[in-house]
Order: sequence, then structure tokens, then C-alpha cells
Amino acid sequence: MNRETVLQDLRKKFSGEIVEFMEKSPKRVYIEIKKDSLRKWASYMIKDLGARFNIASGVDSRAHIEVLYHFTLEDINLIISLRVRLKKTDLEIDSLGAEYPAANWIEREIHEILGVNFKGHPDMRKLLLSDDWPEGVYPLRRDYKEWDPNAIRDRGV
Amino acid sequence: MGVKLNALLKSPWVFHLSTGSCNNCDIEVLDCLTPRFDIERFGMLLAGSVRHADVLLVTGSANRKSMERVKKLYEQVPKPCLVVAIGECALSRGMFINSYNCPVPVDKIIPVDVYVPGCPPRPEAIIAAITKLIGKVKKGAEKS
Repeated sequence: MNRETVLQDLRKKFSGEIVEFMEKSPKRVYIEIKKDSLRKWASYMIKDLGARFNIASGVDSRAHIEVLYHFTLEDINLIISLRVRLKKTDLEIDSLGAEYPAANWIEREIHEILGVNFKGHPDMRKLLLSDDWPEGVYPLRRDYKEWDPNAIRDRGV
Repeated sequence: MGVKLNALLKSPWVFHLSTGSCNNCDIEVLDCLTPRFDIERFGMLLAGSVRHADVLLVTGSANRKSMERVKKLYEQVPKPCLVVAIGECALSRGMFINSYNCPVPVDKIIPVDVYVPGCPPRPEAIIAAITKLIGKVKKGAEKS
């Protein structure tokens, strides 16, 4: 197994499900995928390729919200990031948390902080925010506005 | 000076409370206990439980979750007690002033007696602050 064969296999196997294939550097590859095929991708990466699920991350890029799942292939020193682009009007994506427990908490965090809904997640409670945090307010969105009238934002000098 | 205050200042036991700091202030507080700075010569000891403490050391910018814990712990300290805020975060939240999770500084949650600025403050600054605090309380007690 080396870098070229892995990437070639991915291109061949998922030819219809790749939106964009970006080889950022010798160690990093970003693949933008269609959101319905995420589970298939994840099961191929983990079960067939033997990749390790590293972490997921979420980005608000104004027009879209992106969810990135990072997989590490340690033997060949390669990180493959699967990027799913979600429209802000339709923030639903399949959850990996049910199948792979490693994805459970990070999906909870992305849910509370960016407002992405993970379909089929076993336990969608709040992870880090306090219990009195209002519903529907997502702090890391670009359009987040102060909601707490009691907050003090000056140093008092 | 009352018996209570005398007992408080002779050997102040300190409870160290981190309300979500980056641990740098906490390291400086622990530095005070090392032989180099040796804060025990003033009779100060770190207490394991807040119920045994006379002084509450607060580090870090209190966030929405730890705010409730700070209030609860302050209620459990035997009164009279003194509160010392250590580091820029505990004073005014430092760089986290606009954070969604840090709505108010520590002195809006509990009454603070001494502020020690710095990011992190040096152990000398912490020792100076606490000795000044002791001196001030003694002077105030003599007057009244």
C-alpha cells in the first residue's frame, strides 16, 4: 500500500461521489464528497483501508457549513480529510457516532456549536455549553450575536 | 483585633480554585510553595477542602459553567474569608473578554479583596499582594 495506489483506488471506487479532489501536500488530501455517501466512505476508510478516525471539524464559510472528517493512514503517513458541504437551509448529515464511538462526542460538539443535525446519532445532548444556553443560538456561526443582556464587555476603566 | 480575625491572619490557609484558566497562573501559585519562594514562612498552606480555607485564590476567567461552582464554593468558605483574584483572566478576562462563554468577570460573581494583575503574575507579586492584604486587614481591624 502506498499513497498513489490508495488515492487511485478511492478515485475508482467512488467515482460518482467525489465533488472535488484536492491534493494539498504530500501528506494531506482533501476530498469533497456528496453528503449521502458519507457512511459508505467512512466504512471503506476504516474497515477496508484500516485508517484511524482522527477527528471531525466544522467550519462556517458564510455560504455553507462544512463538516470535515479527518482520517489518518499512519503506515503511509497520509491524512485524508473528507469534506461535506452543507447548505445553511439544510443542515442534516448522516451520523458516524452510532457506528464509530470515536465520532460521538465531536459530533455532539459540532451540533451545539454550529447547529449541524446528525441523523441517527445515539445521544444528542449538549457537551460543553452550559445547561441554560438558549436553543437555536450557535456561538461559532459567523452571524452570532450577543444574546445575554447581563454580559459585560468592557474592562471598566 | 477579634479572635476570629487573628486566627484568620496568623496562618491563612488557602484554597486554590481554577475557574478555567490556562494553568499558567496555577503553576505560579504552586511556585509560591516551592523552597525558593516558600510562602509557608507566612503560615500559608494549601488546604485540600474549601471548608478548611481562610483565603480563596481564584485564577482563570470564570465561564458559564464554572460560575455556578464559584458561587457554591464561596458559600462554603467559613466566614470571614478573603478572596484573591490572580491573573489578568480573573481580573477582567484578558483576551477572553469577548468570548461567548465568559459573560462577566470574577468580581461580579463574588466579592474580591485583592487583585493581582499579570499574565501570569510572578510569585513575588502574589506574595506581595497577600502580605499587603494581611497588613491592610490588620490596620483596618485596629482602627475599628
